[in-house]
Amino acid sequence: MTSLSNEHLRTLVQPDRVHRDFYIDPDVFDLEMDRIFGKIWLFVGHTSQVPNPGDYITTTVARQPVIMSRHRDGEVHVMFNRCTHRGAQVCLEQFGNTKRFECPYHAWVFHTDGRFAGAPYPKGYEDGFLKKEKLDLVKLPRTEIYRGFVFSSLSTDGPEVDEFLGPMKDHIDAFCDRAPDGEVEACAGMFRYRYAGNWKLQMENQTDVYHIMFTHVSTTDDDGKQFRREGAEEDEAGKVKVLADNQSLSEQWEELPLGGHRHGHVFMGRFAMDKANQGPVYDRYKAAMEESYGDQAEENMTVRTHNSIFYPHWSIQHLTQHIRVMNPISVDCTENVIIPLKLKGAPEEMWQASLRSNNNSHSPSGMVMSDDMEVWVRCHEGLKTQSTDWVVLARGMDEKYSGDNQGSYDSKGTSESGARNQQLAWVDLMCGES
Amino acid sequence: MLSEIEQFLYREARLLDERRWEDWINLFADDGYYWVPAYPDQEDPYKNVSIFFDDKELMTTRLNRLNHPDIHAQKPASRTLHVVSNIEISNEHDVEGEILVYSTLQMMEFRLDKQTSYGGRAQHLLREKDGGFELAWKRVDLINCDGVFEPLAIPF
Repeated sequence: MTSLSNEHLRTLVQPDRVHRDFYIDPDVFDLEMDRIFGKIWLFVGHTSQVPNPGDYITTTVARQPVIMSRHRDGEVHVMFNRCTHRGAQVCLEQFGNTKRFECPYHAWVFHTDGRFAGAPYPKGYEDGFLKKEKLDLVKLPRTEIYRGFVFSSLSTDGPEVDEFLGPMKDHIDAFCDRAPDGEVEACAGMFRYRYAGNWKLQMENQTDVYHIMFTHVSTTDDDGKQFRREGAEEDEAGKVKVLADNQSLSEQWEELPLGGHRHGHVFMGRFAMDKANQGPVYDRYKAAMEESYGDQAEENMTVRTHNSIFYPHWSIQHLTQHIRVMNPISVDCTENVIIPLKLKGAPEEMWQASLRSNNNSHSPSGMVMSDDMEVWVRCHEGLKTQSTDWVVLARGMDEKYSGDNQGSYDSKGTSESGARNQQLAWVDLMCGES
Repeated sequence: MLSEIEQFLYREARLLDERRWEDWINLFADDGYYWVPAYPDQEDPYKNVSIFFDDKELMTTRLNRLNHPDIHAQKPASRTLHVVSNIEISNEHDVEGEILVYSTLQMMEFRLDKQTSYGGRAQHLLREKDGGFELAWKRVDLINCDGVFEPLAIPF
């Protein structure tokens, strides 16, 4: 393990700038894996990815291969994908259904809740050894589920998930409460892709309003509007106004609400659309919502946020409806997982539109993501130069803290407040003060 | 007939390699689509996510973007080489005026000192039109469809 002192780590993050080593130093990365990813609550998956007993997915959490499975009693378990005998991964399929996990090496078997189910030729062990020894697949130290969102921590210590999420729980609620059935479903698989850049470059990008009209200008038509991102084909739906009608920067971006809370969580308000979503499909959605929620329906249908970014590595995008997980692979490689979410009980046409929108914007060929990834790779390469040590994040230093005990603040527009709030959490975690 | 079908597929590949997006889109019927599933053995593009699932309108949006001066992911632009092989006419598709063609497809892509190769099985549904063909749909099943990708810009 590296010997970076807290004093050194603190010098990397200044109020309005960060040192390039924050992004490119492999020792900093190793320490992040230990002190950030090794400590706090990480997103593993959604319970709807394993709807039936015996269903499982394999995934990676903080570089650890894990299995999330549903046992025959309905409980969801998260355990390391490592045989307790000689260490082989017991399952390599991305998803499936099984009665038991069987290691390919010596056929040790495990139940779908991780319990050791036996080893061939047990007489080769001393009497009672297999019973006495702890041979179950090892669970991640802590796992909690909130409205189907499965979180694990690689550490036994630290705040409870409720406390860690704080006011960000409202963002999960707001998303789930858009569904007439009050649930979301991850039932369409996922996209996976990688870019050659540090994970924080993407985390900081997600509330960066400043880049939208430049990085994504090629997604706009002659009127400065983006391709359709929401609403069933049969309905009228809004397009994001990336540029104003005069093709200049749109003032609307400067008014977009931004905010965040302690632990590095941030969010960005809903983008200005050229018109409201309306039509026969939307009417059916509205009727289903009114049946479920009565007077509360309209409030639940009102989408106020574009995205909600949960430190350190995942987000909900409310517009196209997906979870984005950013898995750090190495200091200069990040793997993205995009998991579309269906609003259960909403008209099928809305879901089809959302799926198409995810294909168009956030697949490996996605017209939004590909320009973002290009930029993050260029940042990472550029930061390797010895030209200057500092990355300037001095835009819109206007965070207005509410004074609550959640570190909540408001900001707006093209402020770089989101990146700064994540960096405050980074310092606290890296220096062991969170 | 086989020779005409081969010529159609070769020409389609060449249009992509020559970045003649509009000519490529014009091969498709008005209700045509281009589909690259993200999972093997897909039957319905609305069941799972897709790497590409473009109707003509979206193809046009995507390809207008490729012509945009500020498409950063293509500055500099990729060079591609589409190789079409193993062309076979399906004897199971029995619709008057339509021909289902199987082929294997490789695309090599070069950008920023890096060469990447993709491969998969392609299907083209050709409709006879004006003494030639139009493309009712094209589907490409990549062998790595559910793998980890780097950003893609050029159709397979």
